[in-house]
Amino acid sequence: MEEKMYAYKCTACGQLHHPKHYVCKKCGNRKFEEVVLDGDVTLVTYTKVYNLPEGYMKPYMGFGIVKFTNGLVVTGQLEVENPEIGMKLMSTVGVVKEGIGKDYFGFIFKAI
Amino acid sequence: MREVGIVGVGHSKFGKMSGGTFSDLLSMAAVQALDDAGVKTGMGHGIDQVFVATMGAGILNKQSGIASALVDYLNLRPAMAETIENGPASGASAIKLGYMAIASGMCDCVLVVGGEMMRVVSGWEGTDFVATMLHPEAEYNYGLTLPAFAGLFTKLCMEKYGITEKDLSIVAVKNHENAVHNPVAHINVVPNLYCITEDEDAHIMNPYVAEPLRMYHCCPVSDGSAAVLLCAMDKADRFIKKPIKIAGIGSATDTHAVAEREVPTDLLAVRLAAQMAYKMAGLTAQDIDVAELHDAFQILEIVESEEVGFFKRGEGHIAARNGETKIGGIIPINTSGGLKAKGHPLGATGVSQVVEIVKQLRGEATGRQVEGAKAGLCVNFGGFGNNVVATILTKEEA
Repeated sequence: MEEKMYAYKCTACGQLHHPKHYVCKKCGNRKFEEVVLDGDVTLVTYTKVYNLPEGYMKPYMGFGIVKFTNGLVVTGQLEVENPEIGMKLMSTVGVVKEGIGKDYFGFIFKAI
Repeated sequence: MREVGIVGVGHSKFGKMSGGTFSDLLSMAAVQALDDAGVKTGMGHGIDQVFVATMGAGILNKQSGIASALVDYLNLRPAMAETIENGPASGASAIKLGYMAIASGMCDCVLVVGGEMMRVVSGWEGTDFVATMLHPEAEYNYGLTLPAFAGLFTKLCMEKYGITEKDLSIVAVKNHENAVHNPVAHINVVPNLYCITEDEDAHIMNPYVAEPLRMYHCCPVSDGSAAVLLCAMDKADRFIKKPIKIAGIGSATDTHAVAEREVPTDLLAVRLAAQMAYKMAGLTAQDIDVAELHDAFQILEIVESEEVGFFKRGEGHIAARNGETKIGGIIPINTSGGLKAKGHPLGATGVSQVVEIVKQLRGEATGRQVEGAKAGLCVNFGGFGNNVVATILTKEEA
């Protein structure tokens, strides 16, 4: 089954959220509907980290904060050779952490 | 509300503790604070409440309920006791709660002890433990860490304001120079600015941790403890030293997920906490003579110095280049060495910052004294800025 990432749209005012909130940050409503969050993004900032936490057997990893065309800004892993602020990327979904008996899926941003 | 002052301070040597338990580490600072205030230990101590600030005792040291244990270890029973956890801002939060307990009239005298024994685990376990304060689904599960967010933040600040890697190193060297005069600092050597920035081997001596942050732009991992004894100002006569007044406290929160912030280069909670503390104290940024700002990463000292009103937005790094934040400058920042060189035992840090300002206002900061200091500001920063406490101390005129 293809994994997807979602935004959480307030059923009252339409405000989009990611990650999930229990209460809408704009109107205080408590009901949301899931909206698939994918497509092209713009790189807001990035880093390459060399001291990773327990469970990541790699010498380094890239991370980025990106903005979707719908305005949502999220953080994810970055698999781009020479990143630059403002560059267009595509948002993909993949395993971002391998757990015992469970893999965790999340955003992985790649070159278009 | 009753006025509250600090009548005793204590501080262990930060670094790597060899031998002893977490209770021993906390007790070192606690008894120093009691001795400093002239409070007898054992029966008749007159302490109503003990707050212990720690982020990781339950996880790193496998010890929960540490405040209850400390009260018994120090024979302060039956004083009330609670453990306070607010990430790296635990220390200042515990002082804030101590202030509230006295100001409300519930207590006359409160002992606040902050501590962390972090070097009992491997570097990657420690990094993972600190990262647990991030958003569990949107951040932690990606392998993101506090240095990762500091790298993301620094990159954007560099792009927006022209801050350079050398600017970060200038701040680091300044803090190391201050730490040489602080006997409790973790690191007592000063890196050479040229060697860590321009030398052909600089990339080896000062490697990247989270680009564009290098090793000398990040604080070390430290064990340590610090303590303050708070007292109602109208009950302070029984102590040896004149109280230093807690003139203002403010704290504020921001979004848990960093990416949700409206302006990603702002530290909104720092600004709001400082504004609240200034208002309570009836002071402005121009009235502050010395400050301890939470420089877990050197970019934070620069941006916090702007958020608390010392410099205009985007000019903090220029002030650092011009030496304005050195001792003798317009506003000396991190005279203790800061988290960068004094060290950063998470739960101890907020208390340690207050200890330094008390010493400055008493005129006891030998070798690093800001002459004539009458008001000092501390900023203790939790998460990646999602919970910040600002504290203003003043020296009352005789």
